[in-house]
Amino acid sequence: MTTRTTTNRTRWATAVGAILALALGACGGDEPEQASSDEPIVVGISLPLTGDFSEPGKGVQRGYEAWAKITNDKGGLLGRRIELKVLDDQSNADRVVADYEQLIGSDQVDIVVGPFSTRLVVPAARVAEEYGMLFVEPAGAAAEVFQQGFKNLFYAAPAVASDHYNHLAEHLLALPAGQKPTTVAYAAMDDPFAQGTAYGLKAKLEAAGVKTVVDEVYPPNTTDFSSIAAKIATSKADMVVGGSQYQDGVNLIVALQQLNYQPKLAAFSTAPTSPEFAAAIGNKTEGILSPTGYTQDAPYESNKEFVEKYTAQFGSPPEEDEANAYTTGQVVAAAITAAGCAEQGECQKKLVDWVRANKVETVVGPLSWDETGKPQGAHMIQQWVGGEIKIVLPADAKEADLVYPKPAW
Amino acid sequence: MPSGALLFQSVILGLLLGGLYALLAAGLTLYFGIMRVVMIAHSAFLILAAYLAWWSHTELGIDPLLSMVVTVPLFFACGVLLQRLLLARLRAVTLTMMSVLLTFAIAVVIEGLLGYVFSGTQRRIQLGYGSASLELFGARIAVVKLIAFGLAAVALLSLYLVMKRTTFGWALRATIQHRDAARLVGIDTDRVAGFGFGLGLATAAIGGTALSLDTTIYPSLHWHWIGPLMAIIVVGGLGSVPGAAAAAMLLGLAQSLLQIELGTTWAQTVFYVALFLTLAVRPQGFFGGRLAQRF
Repeated sequence: MTTRTTTNRTRWATAVGAILALALGACGGDEPEQASSDEPIVVGISLPLTGDFSEPGKGVQRGYEAWAKITNDKGGLLGRRIELKVLDDQSNADRVVADYEQLIGSDQVDIVVGPFSTRLVVPAARVAEEYGMLFVEPAGAAAEVFQQGFKNLFYAAPAVASDHYNHLAEHLLALPAGQKPTTVAYAAMDDPFAQGTAYGLKAKLEAAGVKTVVDEVYPPNTTDFSSIAAKIATSKADMVVGGSQYQDGVNLIVALQQLNYQPKLAAFSTAPTSPEFAAAIGNKTEGILSPTGYTQDAPYESNKEFVEKYTAQFGSPPEEDEANAYTTGQVVAAAITAAGCAEQGECQKKLVDWVRANKVETVVGPLSWDETGKPQGAHMIQQWVGGEIKIVLPADAKEADLVYPKPAW
Repeated sequence: MPSGALLFQSVILGLLLGGLYALLAAGLTLYFGIMRVVMIAHSAFLILAAYLAWWSHTELGIDPLLSMVVTVPLFFACGVLLQRLLLARLRAVTLTMMSVLLTFAIAVVIEGLLGYVFSGTQRRIQLGYGSASLELFGARIAVVKLIAFGLAAVALLSLYLVMKRTTFGWALRATIQHRDAARLVGIDTDRVAGFGFGLGLATAAIGGTALSLDTTIYPSLHWHWIGPLMAIIVVGGLGSVPGAAAAAMLLGLAQSLLQIELGTTWAQTVFYVALFLTLAVRPQGFFGGRLAQRF
């Protein structure tokens, strides 16, 4: 096993070296060609189409495809068509580096955009940074992405993990003293994203004096949640917060319901927004809250067009992965239109500077970024009310009022 | 200091969990008793049974418990064939070691096939009574956990009765105790070993069904089970069914109580700590376990 990996690596290193040499050789002789207006804008992407992240990877691919099609149907950008060049990185971090080297160095794409998941975004961004390319990415929400000192990276979503619950925290802390929850139980998966969401809220509530009575972290493959649920249930906390992905969230909720725990507020990340969620917990969803980066019902202008045209193209409405990829496309498109160019070299700097200084209207709302590429927003908060999930926060996007204390589940 | 209510709730959860461990460990210790085989694939069959229960519920719409009508006889037959066609062909001198390799391969094959057919997505049976519970002195007992425990208890009791009260059981125990002597008194030890293996695998079918009622399953889940189960049968004394059951209840309870103070991640280590202590202090195991002395 080890030997094989090493051989593979060596082979890749050789390949990358050869490609680099070729690319350098090619550049040395000639002046870079001037892009003419009938040449397409080639957008290079490496995606995990096979392996661990293949499911979300394919979702991201559909999002990019929808963006290219919708943009081209409207005449493209700067009069040029968008052409996607997608490579499969097999969910492998070594591979993703080789892919972006190839896209930028030998394929000479005009623009690159990001792959899926923090694990792949960081190495990919490093390559883009070396070549001075703008790097807008749809999926790298963990804190470490923004601690690498990247200057060209922008995360195209409303908020990083620890800011997901900001609207909820604001709302709860603004409640009159008698109604505010006083004790909270947290259970989070040992995963930078899932834990980040719960701990973001925890930090804000603790700072305001709300007491933490249970703080549990469980490994990603935990299947038995009865002990954690027992701790939470016997603590009788006013509120329970789950830093969950999908299945662990479902398991934890069922385990809590088995113990007949009835909190005033229950918030879980990711799981409650999944289409299969209600059936998975036997429709006992009443009052469950969840932050969401994207919903098809979001009232933003371009979102209506996106949902309609995406559904026409793929037969079903888009989910969050698709929307984040589409958002990435929108950010890049706005920058290209404003800068009036799309090729390697000088132009990339103009694109980066434009994105850094401006606010972009997208399907997930207006986005702007700080120095590290971290988006400056918060997630919408949705709540299950009467068997349906509805936006309850922030006030300007809400479809229903937040129900608090929540009814029994 | 945890509250009394939490302690009581944890004791109940621990006993329910221990019951399931007991059934699964019983099968595992049986194989070792019968022919000194270390059956790494036991928990892979467990997950296979859980998948079959899930599949029959999702695709055919029948209660997962009914899937046992098919899986139990099927697994019994599998066990017999496995023993007769594969394990019996290993050379006696290196049997224990080679059986690890062979059953490891079987486990990987089962995991691969499960991943191929059902994909790596986590699955959970959605039962109408999934979150129902009963109250007992302020603690809550989930109905699904109670059913799982009941299944384990009935299966263990049946296993005990078969071993103690039937001629086959006597032959099986004789084979475990002294193979040559059993053969001298006219027991067809090869046949008995085959059936014994089938019996062990049938416990995996029941255990898997019980497991599927209340947990998420995915193809590689069996690696999480085999470690604790191996530890249990060593602590209980290799080859001793009552020893395995007692050790399982004790360690299940310990795990559940330790979770209060240590959290989920560290509470799992109780099995390995118990394993090391047993090997250091009393290698033949704490309950029964005459067999291990010979190794």
